[in-house]
Amino acid sequence: MRGLSIDLVGELITQSLAAWHVAGTVELTGDRAIVIGAKSEIRIEPAPTHSVFRWTITIDGRTRPAISLLAVLRQVRGALDRGYTPCRVRVALLPVVPS
Amino acid sequence: MMATELIPVSVLTGFLGSGKTTILSHMLRQPEFSRTAVVINEFGEVALDHELIEKTEDSVIALTTGCLCCRVRSDLTKTLQDLLRRRDEGACTRFNRIVIETSGLADPAPILHTLMTDTALASRLVLGSVVATVDAVAGEVTLEREAISRKQVAVADRIVLSKLDLTGEVEDSLHNRLTSLNPRAPTSRAVYGRIESDNLFGVALHDPKARVLDVNSWLAEAPEHDHSAHDAEIKSFTVVRVEPIQAVALTLFLEALAEHCGADLLRLKGIVNVAESPQRPAVIHGVQHVFHAPAWLRHWPSDDRTSRMVLITRRIRREWVEVLLDAISAEVAEVSPGSRHRRARGSV
Repeated sequence: MRGLSIDLVGELITQSLAAWHVAGTVELTGDRAIVIGAKSEIRIEPAPTHSVFRWTITIDGRTRPAISLLAVLRQVRGALDRGYTPCRVRVALLPVVPS
Repeated sequence: MMATELIPVSVLTGFLGSGKTTILSHMLRQPEFSRTAVVINEFGEVALDHELIEKTEDSVIALTTGCLCCRVRSDLTKTLQDLLRRRDEGACTRFNRIVIETSGLADPAPILHTLMTDTALASRLVLGSVVATVDAVAGEVTLEREAISRKQVAVADRIVLSKLDLTGEVEDSLHNRLTSLNPRAPTSRAVYGRIESDNLFGVALHDPKARVLDVNSWLAEAPEHDHSAHDAEIKSFTVVRVEPIQAVALTLFLEALAEHCGADLLRLKGIVNVAESPQRPAVIHGVQHVFHAPAWLRHWPSDDRTSRMVLITRRIRREWVEVLLDAISAEVAEVSPGSRHRRARGSV
């Protein structure tokens, strides 16, 4: 299994834009951030170590936290894909282990 | 209290005139199908198909209030509940399987949703196999013109080519089209409604004869194909992982698929090596944004411990699915106590 690297997150974002049919460029910066150039400029970076969140996303100058990569994807798509309606569906793998 | 026997419900789908009723009629005359209850859905004011079923049992029911997929899902639930009640009361044959013949215009996905999500039914019924009939004469044109026919084929566990008594052979172009839509579904041939395989509804998650989960048949894994020639919209691929997947990662992965794919995830089925349950694999099953609660096998069906998830999708890129699972698994591993991948937050 691959460890979580900024390269892997960048690949995820690149593939996600393609999957959503959203035009844009993805660039990895020297300070371990990902910058998406599209109709909005988006910067994704690891949250500071003291934060309870894992990621920080800045969209057109406005910064928000994200607790997981799923939350990152939701925010990025919400900013770039006009037809996207965030779905509140939650999948519960019940039971998580066999009872 | 005695454990209740789960009754498999199979779905017979296929476009208008593709031979569903003929095949069903022939099938019901075979001894091994003597304890089969049939629900027939017809799209029209006058029910006719059920009259074509030569069967004296009162376990053949026609639903005529509309197409199952769009208007009468609640009717299907009520019908199945009524069937079970009559079975329990001894008012009809003590059937051991149910077959639903859908309208030729029906999208099978909402029907599968009903079978998977209705809590009242879930304790008694289990989704069996999905069989799609394709007219060997007119099938190619139908597949080209009717999107719903492509979806019917794409979600099937087995495909039956009908009307071979008229055409004799199957055109290569039709065969190639079916393979492109659903490369993993085995294909049977029907001549005058008679099917060469006696195992039509055998490719199922639940095999009532063996009382085991025949996962390999259900997944119908085939060697990887070159997908470049596949249908422009509908594709099928298998995601394989050797290392166990943590339960949380699997949950988040399915959640992401549901959220970002929605109706374009026609079907997902798989066997997963969940890290927290190394001896008992999870069998997962989803249609569009709805996922069935996993079934936990008592043991692995073979020495193969790899996780295998078959996805039948429309306009979903395999590359995205692969990297999505990798990234989610890596993130979950990073925050898991004791993981060798654990790092300080923000260390990426």
